[in-house]
Amino acid sequence: MKKVLLEVKQHLLTAISYMLPLVVASGLLIAIGNLMGGQVVTKMSQLTIPSAFTSLGVLGMGLLPSFIAGYISYSIADRPGIAPGFLMGQIASFLGAGFLGGIIGGFVSGYIAKAIIKYVKVPKWAEALMPMMIVPTLTAAIGGLLMYFVLGGPITYITGGLHDFITGLDQSQKALYGFVIGAIGCIDYGGAISKVPNLICDGLLLEGITGPEGIKVLAAMVPPFGVTFALLISKVIKKRIYTDQEVDAIKVAFPMGVCMISEGVIPIAMNDLIRTVISTSIGCGVCGMISFMFGNGSPVPSGGVFVIPAMSKPLVAVAALLIGSLVTGVLLVVLKKRLTEEEARNNVFTDEEEEVDLSSIQLS
Amino acid sequence: MKIVAVAACTSGIAHTYIAKEKLIRAAEALGHTIHVETQGTIGTEDALTEQEIKDADVVILAVDIAITGMERFEGKRTVKVPTSLVVKAPKQIIQKIESELQKS
Repeated sequence: MKKVLLEVKQHLLTAISYMLPLVVASGLLIAIGNLMGGQVVTKMSQLTIPSAFTSLGVLGMGLLPSFIAGYISYSIADRPGIAPGFLMGQIASFLGAGFLGGIIGGFVSGYIAKAIIKYVKVPKWAEALMPMMIVPTLTAAIGGLLMYFVLGGPITYITGGLHDFITGLDQSQKALYGFVIGAIGCIDYGGAISKVPNLICDGLLLEGITGPEGIKVLAAMVPPFGVTFALLISKVIKKRIYTDQEVDAIKVAFPMGVCMISEGVIPIAMNDLIRTVISTSIGCGVCGMISFMFGNGSPVPSGGVFVIPAMSKPLVAVAALLIGSLVTGVLLVVLKKRLTEEEARNNVFTDEEEEVDLSSIQLS
Repeated sequence: MKIVAVAACTSGIAHTYIAKEKLIRAAEALGHTIHVETQGTIGTEDALTEQEIKDADVVILAVDIAITGMERFEGKRTVKVPTSLVVKAPKQIIQKIESELQKS
């Protein structure tokens, strides 16, 4: 069972890894276009440069369900899975359930394709036709019928329910969910755990709900901003908490953070994992809470501080980001041990390891 | 031991390369030779050569996602670990692999 879950996770993560550049590029195009006053246009005669950006970005977002489905399917069935997977994504868009539909469609087509490759035996002369014709066509046919007639209903029902649930949240519920989404979304600084809530936020954006996406974008910047604040505060109150090497790492992490890449914090967090994760998670939670509670949303899934002007309430966004980061910074300064000058200079990133459970590792 | 490894994480910009560094440092500290290929968002870098794979005693796949070129490792002893674990405990992983290899 555990093995199946791990496999499912790997397929999802693979799809996300292919999807991310699309989301980032499309999101930024929408943001740039919107900021210059662009709109989505459908006729050549209406085209202006800003509208071209916005329209292209929206087209790109429209590809998302297909990317998700296509690359989940690829992860399961290798190359023959891609084409039918993309088709399942198109069905998902048609159903108006882009995101969930894309995920389910990807698994459906992936496993069908894999089964066909494994069980359908063809005569030698037809072997070359397998990856080119038989697998994609048969998979698309079976998967398509399944998606349209069997799964389509439940998928749209669930998506609708989720939509109503999120839009029906009251103020205090929003605060709670905002905190949770923010905190989990940064818990491993862009690693595998954080991708789950972030994926849900992207999915909701596809359904036109921007609130959670706002949390995601802002909270992702809190860890790098937070450690920077911690460094500044610690300098002001003269409590040395970071080694010289960590200070250098923070100088790299901050500009990365401005672009919404939290990963720069990893080397700093690694040296003092528990205290850092506690501080950043609370800060991210506070940031998410403020953003969601006061109705801020982001129509753009990525881009860091550059997309704040495109958010629905930029001032709330700035406040959420700064307060969340400040909370992280203060917590770090309070929680972390004071370093002596000598420790601060000599400490290199350690090669010491904690004991970990390696029983799941197997040679094959 | 002669080790070849592939590192690949979800976003393909950070964990992939941290895992690579950790593996190289741990392997060298333990006296093994290692070659690490990365499959990040930028694409494949430091691709393993056929000879390196042929000579290797074991293939470490530090991957969270599906990678390309798996067919190269057919018939080799392989071990798959998530990048997060490699970042946390590269030495322990290599030691464990070494002892498993000696057992069989």
